[in-house]
Amino acid sequence: MMKTQLAMVIDSSKCIDCKACTVACKVENQVPEGHWRNWVKHAEPDADRLARGGKDTAGHFQPGACMHCEEPTCVRACPTGATYKDEADGSIRVDSALCIGCGSCIPACPYGARYRHPEKKIVDKCDYCSARRARGELPACVVTCPTKARTFGNLHDPKSEAAILMAANSTVRVANPESDTRPNMYYIGATAPLNWPVKAQFPAPISIWAKLAKPLIWGAVGLNALGVLVMLGKQVLMADDAPEAEDPENQKEATHG
Amino acid sequence: MPNRLNAPISRRNFLKWSGAAAAAATAGGRTPVLHALVPANEPGTASQVEHKFSVCGMCLNKCGLIARVEDGVVTKLDPNPKFLKSRGMLCARGNAGVTQLYDPDRLKYPLLRKGKRGEGKWQRISWDEALDYAADKMKIIAEKYSRCGMLFTPGSDMQSTFVHWFAEVFGSYNITTHESSCLVSRNRAYLDTFGEVPFSDVLHSKYIIMAGANRFEALITPDSIDLMTARKNGCKLVVLDPRYTKTAALADEWYPVRPGTDMAFFLALAHVIIMENLYDPQFAAEKLSGLNELADHVMSCTPEWAETEGDIPAADIRRIARELAAAAPAAIVYPGRRTSDYINSTQIRRSMAIVNALLGNWDQPGGLLGARKVGLASPELPEAPFYEDNPDDRLDHGRAHMMFEEEGSFKHMRDAIIEQQPYPVKGWFVYKYNPMQSLANRRKTLEMIDKLDFIVTVDIAMSDTAWMSDLVLPAPSSLERQDPASGLQGSSACACVVTRDPVVPALFESRPVFDILKGIAGRLDLGEYFDFTVADYRKQQLRKLPDAEKALHEDGVYYNPSKLYGVYEGRVYKTRSKKIELHNSRYADMGIEPMPVYQPPRQIPSDRFRLVIGRNAYFTHCSTQNNALLHELMPENTLWIHPKPASRLGIRNGSTVVVSSAAGRGEIKAELKPGIRKDTVFMGSGFGVLSTGMSNIFGSGACVAELLEDYADELSGNSAMHETFVQVSRKGA
Repeated sequence: MMKTQLAMVIDSSKCIDCKACTVACKVENQVPEGHWRNWVKHAEPDADRLARGGKDTAGHFQPGACMHCEEPTCVRACPTGATYKDEADGSIRVDSALCIGCGSCIPACPYGARYRHPEKKIVDKCDYCSARRARGELPACVVTCPTKARTFGNLHDPKSEAAILMAANSTVRVANPESDTRPNMYYIGATAPLNWPVKAQFPAPISIWAKLAKPLIWGAVGLNALGVLVMLGKQVLMADDAPEAEDPENQKEATHG
Repeated sequence: MPNRLNAPISRRNFLKWSGAAAAAATAGGRTPVLHALVPANEPGTASQVEHKFSVCGMCLNKCGLIARVEDGVVTKLDPNPKFLKSRGMLCARGNAGVTQLYDPDRLKYPLLRKGKRGEGKWQRISWDEALDYAADKMKIIAEKYSRCGMLFTPGSDMQSTFVHWFAEVFGSYNITTHESSCLVSRNRAYLDTFGEVPFSDVLHSKYIIMAGANRFEALITPDSIDLMTARKNGCKLVVLDPRYTKTAALADEWYPVRPGTDMAFFLALAHVIIMENLYDPQFAAEKLSGLNELADHVMSCTPEWAETEGDIPAADIRRIARELAAAAPAAIVYPGRRTSDYINSTQIRRSMAIVNALLGNWDQPGGLLGARKVGLASPELPEAPFYEDNPDDRLDHGRAHMMFEEEGSFKHMRDAIIEQQPYPVKGWFVYKYNPMQSLANRRKTLEMIDKLDFIVTVDIAMSDTAWMSDLVLPAPSSLERQDPASGLQGSSACACVVTRDPVVPALFESRPVFDILKGIAGRLDLGEYFDFTVADYRKQQLRKLPDAEKALHEDGVYYNPSKLYGVYEGRVYKTRSKKIELHNSRYADMGIEPMPVYQPPRQIPSDRFRLVIGRNAYFTHCSTQNNALLHELMPENTLWIHPKPASRLGIRNGSTVVVSSAAGRGEIKAELKPGIRKDTVFMGSGFGVLSTGMSNIFGSGACVAELLEDYADELSGNSAMHETFVQVSRKGA
């Protein structure tokens, strides 16, 4: 077990969907226009219940971002090793020096947490504000949140606010049963919507290898070389826009109570 | 913890040493998110990093912030964690303050109109030319039409106090502000009930009814944040709103009330509380005036009657009244802020104030609180000159029964300017105010503009009002200037003082409105009245608070630990009866209903909808829609319409529709929403602009001011913006 596992523990029932977190993140991380590192999803009661009004009309807002998973499908999809789980703190990082911008990791993420940076030509996503953390500050989305719905910290440090919240509350994780990546994003109590994560999609060569190869082979040099060649070829052929879920307003979900 | 580099060779470490990685490493480029104005620094490369306190200027809340300044460039605004009023938060708009500072759409130098008004032809002129021009025009108007021939409209801003001062020394009583498009009817109602406009102790409340307020979207500090904390502590929230807002979504109960009928609901609550003796008899005996009259008045206002008016089930009204009274005095009928809705808005708020009075919540934890002592002193300024040739009253005097003399009503002011009655007003000084977008009936505003000889607008960007002006002067953003001190009421959170010093120097040729006014005053031989600096002014404001300057320097805020509850112990209410007035005898003397009498709203014709307006958390009225970051959250406004009437009209989600009223028309995309009443449509404000200087939003959405007819509250003169009926049709249908 890692000594440090950074995680977010979120009380989504406190979220008012004000988008302070999404704007704070964009400024802090210079996220380009049309792209987002985090989001707020909506769950609304159905039309019949809304038509009745009264007591049974609660909606729910769910803040999210990269879940920094235990079993990250993005890491598996990355042909160059640019996407990796940082052993120092358990976060999932993209090494900009290694990323070739092939975009294989984008559909491999069930949560739409990754986008291809149009100028840098590499993949970008939440890194828990690594530059802020280096200065001893909390992630921008956490400090700016009006209702402090987002809590951040080391789950393995029992004194951290995140760990205290985890210990004191039952939590749920949001994942697709077919691609359960064991996210390090925990929602206190219940949350909604739940049905939005998609099944991780791997680029063909990777998924074939993933099926055939035993886990030990993953470190093999031969596979690396093959992956790099395939992906470099793909990058040349691919259009600029990789498929990605972006606009947070359009990420509304069907009702989930 | 093993060092990554010492770990067994993994794929990524392998690649790190390979040529492929080196090639890929050069692919990353700089990301100029702040557009062309500021070069983006790679994180961690700045040689000098500073952190500076300020308070946000994106809306009226003035939330404390800390600006990170890297090599002279503001790179991030974070909340000041010691700032109690905002509970240490910064909202989306606050975060987007950086984008306002570096917005390429900012006004950069003085502009003089060359073509016709609104044609968009401008000439760049120097500041000396601009100030000479403004002073000449104002002088001519003063000579020809008296000094009251100038209208001054300062927006909500920490330097607006200087516009008021300038108007006073220039000699015009004609000053009106944003407030008569917003909350003067609420202020009127609470002043005429309690003698004071209260703050809500949301944090400690156990039961809150919110009618006509949307506190989880229209953010007010600390109320919006405290509302969530209170909810987590068990406070019940009941929301009345014709549309399913985010506040409705987060409430215990939401009633899609028939618009304009809220008073029926509150009179029915009063009926139940009185008939079932659910009020505190001791509080009533000591503090209330007119309980017997009120009991008679609401005798017939049964929940069953209210149900027929407002569509809220009688059983729920009865239950809510009992629950509310059981939670009293830690229970609130939330007074709200923007109450510019109906022609009887003051009386609607009187009915809400009366229920609060019956709850005995005044000056109590979880109830309504009077203002706390902040302790700022009034600066000693020379006595303003007296001008003998001035008319007796402000131009809009007498156009509503109980208008605030210092505030007036913009709607009535505009009518009076158009009619040129009782005297002509020919000049207009606008500061950070945009009635072309915010005031109902844009065509009438254009008509008013046609009557004027001179319009000068001071603002950050080319608003629609600036667009129609003759002279446009660039102001700096709130991060670039020194401001006076400002006292803030933070309910139970605090009473505090804030101020601003420049985080960075003013960009371009922008000048604070204080400097502009001082420059004009000097040219009008009024220089002696502006013979001070903002720093002098602030020093005088703080002279009775010896600890304030140090606290402002060290924490970015000064708190006055003044008394919070029990402020009224041994004090009388500032009303005629010296008690809380359920029955207002002063109203009776003036021929105004002394207790609120329910008037059913006008029937909506079968081919129309009632248009209601409102806010979300991204926009401040009509002023932040063009901000690139906020624009991304909502690039245009839409017309919320229920799927059933939409289907009848052949309107689909995203269809372009034509919306028309007696005031005007607009084209806008429809958004089908099952959470809005079938007889009501909703639009947000700030789109459908005329100014091409709003480059992100020009050509998007429709303008609320174009569609709304200009009704007004009969008592306060507050704009009544929910009285308009509109026709909606699919474009091309």
